[in-house]
Amino acid sequence: MSEARKIPFNNPGWAGNTGEFSLTEAEVRGDEYVGRRPPAGGHPSGASSYPYMLAEKDPDAPLFEGAYRERFDKLRTRYPDARSALLPTLAMAQELRGYVSPGTMDEVAALLDLSPAYVRGVATFYTMYNKRPVGRFLIQVCTNISCSLCGGDDVLRAFLNNTGTELGETSEDGLFTVVEAECLAACGFPTTVQINSRYYENVTPKDVPEILERLKAQGE
Amino acid sequence: MAYPYTHEKEVRILSKHFGEPEARTLDGWKARGGYRTLNRAFEMGRDKVIEEVKASGLRGRGGAGFPAGVKWSFMPKEKTRPHYLLCNADESEPGTFKDRELLRWTPHQLIEGMIIAAYAIQAEQAYVYCRGEFFETTQILARAVEEAYEAGYLGQDILGSGFNLDITVHCGGGAYICGEETALMNSLEGRRGTPRVKPPFPAQAGYMGMPSTVNNVETLSSVPFIIAEGAEAYRKNGTQESPGTKLFCVSGHVRKPGNYELPLGFPLMELINDVCGGLKEGRTLKGVIPGGSSVPILNAEECADCELSFEGVIKAGSQLGCASVIVMDDSTDIVKEVRRMVGFYAHESCGQCTPCREGSAWTEKILRRIEDGRGTEEDLDTLVEVTSQMEGTTICVLSDSVAAPVKSSIRKFRGEYLARIRTGEKVGAA
Repeated sequence: MSEARKIPFNNPGWAGNTGEFSLTEAEVRGDEYVGRRPPAGGHPSGASSYPYMLAEKDPDAPLFEGAYRERFDKLRTRYPDARSALLPTLAMAQELRGYVSPGTMDEVAALLDLSPAYVRGVATFYTMYNKRPVGRFLIQVCTNISCSLCGGDDVLRAFLNNTGTELGETSEDGLFTVVEAECLAACGFPTTVQINSRYYENVTPKDVPEILERLKAQGE
Repeated sequence: MAYPYTHEKEVRILSKHFGEPEARTLDGWKARGGYRTLNRAFEMGRDKVIEEVKASGLRGRGGAGFPAGVKWSFMPKEKTRPHYLLCNADESEPGTFKDRELLRWTPHQLIEGMIIAAYAIQAEQAYVYCRGEFFETTQILARAVEEAYEAGYLGQDILGSGFNLDITVHCGGGAYICGEETALMNSLEGRRGTPRVKPPFPAQAGYMGMPSTVNNVETLSSVPFIIAEGAEAYRKNGTQESPGTKLFCVSGHVRKPGNYELPLGFPLMELINDVCGGLKEGRTLKGVIPGGSSVPILNAEECADCELSFEGVIKAGSQLGCASVIVMDDSTDIVKEVRRMVGFYAHESCGQCTPCREGSAWTEKILRRIEDGRGTEEDLDTLVEVTSQMEGTTICVLSDSVAAPVKSSIRKFRGEYLARIRTGEKVGAA
């Protein structure tokens, strides 16, 4: 279930490798916290914080049944009206299905008693809701100012070349979708790349083949 | 140890426990003196808490620098409707990466600050609006909130004070504009993240139309120290107008980028050359963006005497913003970098105000043309004219954020634009 815990390897260019820092990458990241929440959402205060970008995506997964229904019911109690629960509900739908299709938006609309057009209007405003399917690994490369100054464009090119894709396309094997991200708020560790739920820091073009190889090995 | 570097000139109050994984746990936080300020705040009473925070001079750390205690005092004294406290953790100003560190190293510090703030403004519901990309970080925060519930620091009748508080960790959907406080409230209501016209201000009609206060993560994290040690102790650091310490996020062309906690008013060049280990071998300074990508660029000359306080950076010709110091050495291609920043704003414009929606896209197009060597000298006049019409003409300041880098760079680095236009030649970029 929890994808973050399945990744056994460190980020090759990880920012902690400065020689002045004694903690492990897992300690910095708080790996013991990530992916520990039960699918039903745990305590209601955190129920809407749970959504991941999972590698396993099932576009036909039933929405809001079993544990997911329980999680939805919990998060719904944290908002004064149904509309306010829209963003976390969309995120949960995406967690299951990998993207939010028009059909998924309609289901969410029905669940929250909102009009389908309204839900589409909101969902299309936010970039994190994928409007079409993405690869098993969604690779988001920051090319904004701080990363750009330190070679973000080269890292983006390396990901595109090594996956043989164009920006926003999914590779033929269905594994990789590479997109350009706006600032990921880890500017001191350029170039920052987010792959599914996980941040990779200090990535240089030469790290890219290694990262992709490891992802491939894990994707089998 | 701070992550990934630390420096002896730092004054570590907020970041004191960065790099200590145990500090993330409730027990670890209590062992470090955590949660002791709650009883003290409840004994002081709401008015005194607000007075103390006012007296400390703590200014909002989200960019605008509005005094936090004054903001709290705008909330109605008589509570007739629900009040809300909203913590802005939608960190996404390019160059800013401090809130992520606060959330993942010291989540209980934030929760403690939120309890005090919520008590002061009589809010029984609080939300932490986290940026959606922070998957890992929000897991740490969510666990901390859960622990605080288990220990009775959240929920009903906290520590027998009669005060109730629920905190909910909420994840955004990936939109820069939701860091603007009224857009944040719209987004939290399940709407498109478009800013609202002010007035009414959030304290009158905010989230769900109810009195609300929006504070940044760093602002709220600063509160426990003020309650524990008092306003006077807080004022021992910083300047008269900008008291306290601040996390400076340094990125770009320095040897040791990272977050450094320093007293406000710290000299910019000392931060670059001493704390951050200086520029790379053989490089010279071209410019600095001192407060995230939406403030004017300073050239090397202006940086020389710049002091990093709210007033000091204004004096130097820019703004402190969230103290996101982006350092650019002589290899920097200014035209490209400005185009990249403007491209960001064009992407993130919510589209409700015409000057911003049209102006940001238009400005990007012209800059792209210049960058590709197809520009004309008239384009520079057009850029200045278009961006001038984007200042002060829209609901929020995203539009002004386009004007800041464009106008300041054309004024200070005109030669680079002209070289690109006349010969297609890049200045810098070596």
